[in-house]
Parts: sequence; C-alpha cells; structure tokens
Amino acid sequence: MSEHEDPKPSPPNSGDGWRVLSYLIGGVLLYGGIGFGLDRLLGTQFLLPVGIVLGAGLTVLLLHFRYGSRS
Amino acid sequence: MIAGVPTEFHPPGPESFELPPIISGVEWFTKPVLVSMLSVVVIVWFFWGASRKAAIVPSKLQFAGELGYNFVRNSIARDAIGSAEHMKYVPYLCGLFFFILLNNVAASVPLVQFPTFSHIGWAYAAAIMSWVIYNVVGIRKHGAWGYFKHQTMPAGVPVWLMPLMIPIEFISNILVRPVSLSLRLFANMFAGHILLLVFVLGGEYLIFEAGSIPLAGVGVVTILMGFAIAGLELFVQCIQAYIFVVLTAQYIGSAIAEDH
Repeated sequence: MSEHEDPKPSPPNSGDGWRVLSYLIGGVLLYGGIGFGLDRLLGTQFLLPVGIVLGAGLTVLLLHFRYGSRS
Repeated sequence: MIAGVPTEFHPPGPESFELPPIISGVEWFTKPVLVSMLSVVVIVWFFWGASRKAAIVPSKLQFAGELGYNFVRNSIARDAIGSAEHMKYVPYLCGLFFFILLNNVAASVPLVQFPTFSHIGWAYAAAIMSWVIYNVVGIRKHGAWGYFKHQTMPAGVPVWLMPLMIPIEFISNILVRPVSLSLRLFANMFAGHILLLVFVLGGEYLIFEAGSIPLAGVGVVTILMGFAIAGLELFVQCIQAYIFVVLTAQYIGSAIAEDH
C-alpha cells in the first residue's frame, strides 16, 4: 500500500482466503509429487502420503509466517 | 424408476454442453461464441451510452455506468493494487469483470441460458491473459531475476526453512494460480448449469413421462427446487466474476509491490 491519502481505509483483503487456497494446493502438489516420484524410484509405498502431509504442514507453516504476523 | 415405464431417463452430462454449430458448416460459430459476442455488444453499448452524454447531473444510464465502473476501480483495483498505481489496470479489470459477469449471467437469461465459461477453453484464455499481465508487469518493475526472487522468497520465513518454502512459493505463485483461477470459474459455471439441467429435466420427466401421479407431484417440487437453484446460481455467477477479478488485481498488486 502507498502513503497517498486514501479516502477510506481499505478493508481487509477479501481475496486472501482464495490466495491461501493456491498455496495449499501448491504445497500438497509439490511434496506429494516428490513423494510419488520417490515411491516410483525406490519401489516403496509410504512416501506419497508422507509427502502430502509434509507438504500440507509446510504450507500451513508458510502461511503462518506470511499472513500470521500481520496485525 | 418404476418398472414398465416406456422411456428411460437420461441424466444430463458433459455431452449436454456439446452444442452443434449455429450455422451448419461454420464449425467455430457455436453458442458460447455467439453469447460472448453479444455480451461484448451489450457492454460497449452500455458504457458508451453511459459516458456519451456525461453530465454533472447524471442520467440514469450514466449513473448505472459510473456505479459499475466505480465499484471495480475503488473496491477491486484500488484496494488490491494501491492508490498510486491502480489506474493503469482499471481498464483491463473493468473490462474483464463485466465480460465475465455478463457471460456468467447469460446462464440465467431466458432464451440464452448458457454460461460461456462452462467451456473450459474460455476460462483458460481469461486466466492466461491475467497470468501474462501480472508476470509482465512484475518483470517490468523488478527485472526478470528480481521478479523471480520477489515471487519465490516468502517474507518473514526463517532462513533454515527457505529451501523447503521456495519451491512451494514458486509452484503456488507461478503454476497453481492460473490453473486455480480458470478451474474455479469453469467448474462453478459447469456445475451450476448441470445442476439446473438435472432439476429441470428431471422434473419434466417426472411430471410428463414417469406416468404416475405421486411422481408427478415430486416432479412439481423438483421444478420448484430448480427455480431456487436458479436464484442461487445468479448469486454464484456474480461472485465468480468478482473473485476472478479480485484475484487478478491482487496478483498484479503483489507482483508490483515493493519487497516487504
């Protein structure tokens, strides 16, 4: 936001929730994908779910740092 | 379904969206193309009419036009991009908003009744356009490498977490955004239209072809539910146009924002 005078204070960003969604999809997609790839490579079974959970967890952490500190 | 009913009910499916060309032989000229062209004509007529005889004391049309324009400029563009730079993007956002809005609402206009964006190519095209714009303005502002860093380095994350976070940030900002933008719009329009088809065609079948009085009664209720769904759809159509444009504005805003 700029220092220029705003006639009215802007409301909290209404699109934040939708942006968070793309983070969640991205995190799960990425680490789930890595898990899937490793499963294929190593012939294991458990890395896809591990990757999905890890990706979701990391994304939540990222969102905490990104949006959580905003007062 | 009860046994012995001569005709069987065929539920609507994705094939309900495959419409033949309006003029046989002209393959590209289908209903969505016609609807989108009509929407452009209506939008141009509306804003041209609203601004042609601009006066201090506005006519009703001018008032309506200014209301719509102000809504996009103040509530979408300025809030998301900031008052210093938002005016550059207002024409695109305004055009995009009214184009999507009219093409969505077309699903509820009698005789038209088809949402253009229920064909996914239209949604892809709109999303790609927004994607190109926010990336280009970001690269212009920060330079290619600076923009890349800007979009992949999450602010406020401890350094030791960076290697895990940068790929998430990249995937989400560069790859998932356009996909989610287009799929959200497409899926809402597709699902809403198919829901209406199910209720109306199902009700029609129950009343006229199922061949039993209680089922006909159920059919009447089904049709009434269809009207309720149509009302809900009108709401969804407006919300989806709004969401698409708000997100486009926010993506532009975050692409040109200074590092925080």
